[in-house]
Amino acid sequence: MSNILPAMLSHLRITFLGVLAAVILGLPTAAFLIRHDKLRKMLFIIVDAIQTVPSLAMLTFVMLIFGLNDTTVIVAIFLYSLFPVLRNTYVGLASVDKGTIRAGKGIGMTDLQIFSMIRFPLAAPMILTGIRLSIVSALGLATTGVFIGAGGLGMLIWRGIQTRNMGMMMSGAVPVFLLAILFEYVIGLFEKQLNKRQRRSIS
Amino acid sequence: MVHFVNVTMAYGSHIVIDKLNLHVEEGQLVVLIGPSGCGKTTTLQLINRLIKPTEGDILVNRQNIKNVDPVELRRKVGYVIQEIGLFPHMTIKQNIEIVPRLLGWDEERKAARTEELIQLVNLDRKYLKRYPSELSGGQQQRIGLLRALAVEPPIILMDEPFGALDPITRESLQNEIVALQKRLKKTIVFVTHDMDEAIKIADRIVLMKDGKIVQAAASKELLSNPANEFVEQFIGRHRLYSGKADTVADVMSDEIVCAEKTLSLIEAVALMRHKKVPGLFVIDDTKKLQGKVSIEQIRKSELSEQDALETIGIEQICPAFENQSAREVFDRMEAEKIDALPVVDEANTVIGVVTRSSIVRSLAEVVWGNQS
Repeated sequence: MSNILPAMLSHLRITFLGVLAAVILGLPTAAFLIRHDKLRKMLFIIVDAIQTVPSLAMLTFVMLIFGLNDTTVIVAIFLYSLFPVLRNTYVGLASVDKGTIRAGKGIGMTDLQIFSMIRFPLAAPMILTGIRLSIVSALGLATTGVFIGAGGLGMLIWRGIQTRNMGMMMSGAVPVFLLAILFEYVIGLFEKQLNKRQRRSIS
Repeated sequence: MVHFVNVTMAYGSHIVIDKLNLHVEEGQLVVLIGPSGCGKTTTLQLINRLIKPTEGDILVNRQNIKNVDPVELRRKVGYVIQEIGLFPHMTIKQNIEIVPRLLGWDEERKAARTEELIQLVNLDRKYLKRYPSELSGGQQQRIGLLRALAVEPPIILMDEPFGALDPITRESLQNEIVALQKRLKKTIVFVTHDMDEAIKIADRIVLMKDGKIVQAAASKELLSNPANEFVEQFIGRHRLYSGKADTVADVMSDEIVCAEKTLSLIEAVALMRHKKVPGLFVIDDTKKLQGKVSIEQIRKSELSEQDALETIGIEQICPAFENQSAREVFDRMEAEKIDALPVVDEANTVIGVVTRSSIVRSLAEVVWGNQS
């Protein structure tokens, strides 16, 4: 049981680094895509295609470049997270009411101010949804990392299966399950809070 | 305050604004009106450089806006739009204070100004902490107006600001604009497609079509002297029918009750009873006016029923002349308390009558137009 905590921390590290990389790259890219429609269409085709690759196949491909370690899992998570992060951020930024943008411009906001004071805050709940989806699916994906020698809770599950040790298996599966529920709930709460006033304005 | 000098705006070969010349004087509320696609909104957006002209110069406060940073310019020109465009994630207070914030005012100055503004429109202070979505459309647009007024810009642009509101709210906001304008004397350029609204609020109406000004005039002038058929059509039912009541001939009625002077008294009384009038205008056999007799006169006289009217002593009266001004005659009837006056031509021939009801009728025509 004493190895649950280190495995959990390693699991979280892999998950967060992967999603974080997607967020760091995805947010500016999505902001850039608002004004570049052709590029957006192309990029979205690629991101959609990545999404369809099965996880074990993906790990195999990435492993060829990064080897048998955590990095491979992090990169795989990054690639899978691009889709929800990029798409949600783009939709959130692009769907801000035209009148609101026009008003901002008309009262003398610079392009940067329109982005930072209007577009981004209004897109925030949507962006958060993308991040939540990424984290929850990444928690699951990280368990498969065990096949290419990465750490995390997947190792406990796999060993438990191999040795028919139900306790060990559960000591991996239950934390993954609880973490997923926890993130789903906590981030969802933030979204709700942010959405509260905006939802009402839409209706 | 705002000058357009030969301004042309075109998207490729499609000309939106065609060599426009317009001068908006300081403190005036000018309404740009016209059918959709006439270029009124484009004209408005040229003023704060949301759109750049293809040719020509626009001067705002004697400064050519070509040489002004558009962001700086917009912060000095109030802007109110149909979509209202309050920022949904900011409180009402934050919305009102947005331009001061962009200009870097300190908290104290912002708060003092907000206080002034909410008193200006009698806004309940409790709204300051709310979000736009908690307010009705009309309330939201009042906030939109305060946001535009926040840094006391001399010029305010309004792009169909009340277009999306229900008629009752729209009317109350129009009243509010009129009342505010009396106190603040801003230079306002207001776009609408609603003639009622234009007439109600405008100092001057600029009617546009195909990127050109068809007529620019005070509303009364526009309504009474439409420049051409298009203007006439556009203003439609609002048209003033002035010039229709210029002379007596325009307002008189030909239903005059006359009696020849040789008519017997009994016949004259029968005629009065039949026509339900208290008196008769007396004429000779060539319809020349002789004067008038009243039922009172006949009753008091001791003549026999068969005597002719002329024997009773016809009262001389000064008639109205057909080419005399109607106004003069109305004034005289009012002053001398005359109910009806015969109208004669140059030869003193009776051709009609002006009564108090003709005055009412011609006034009605001015107000509601000639329905007949």
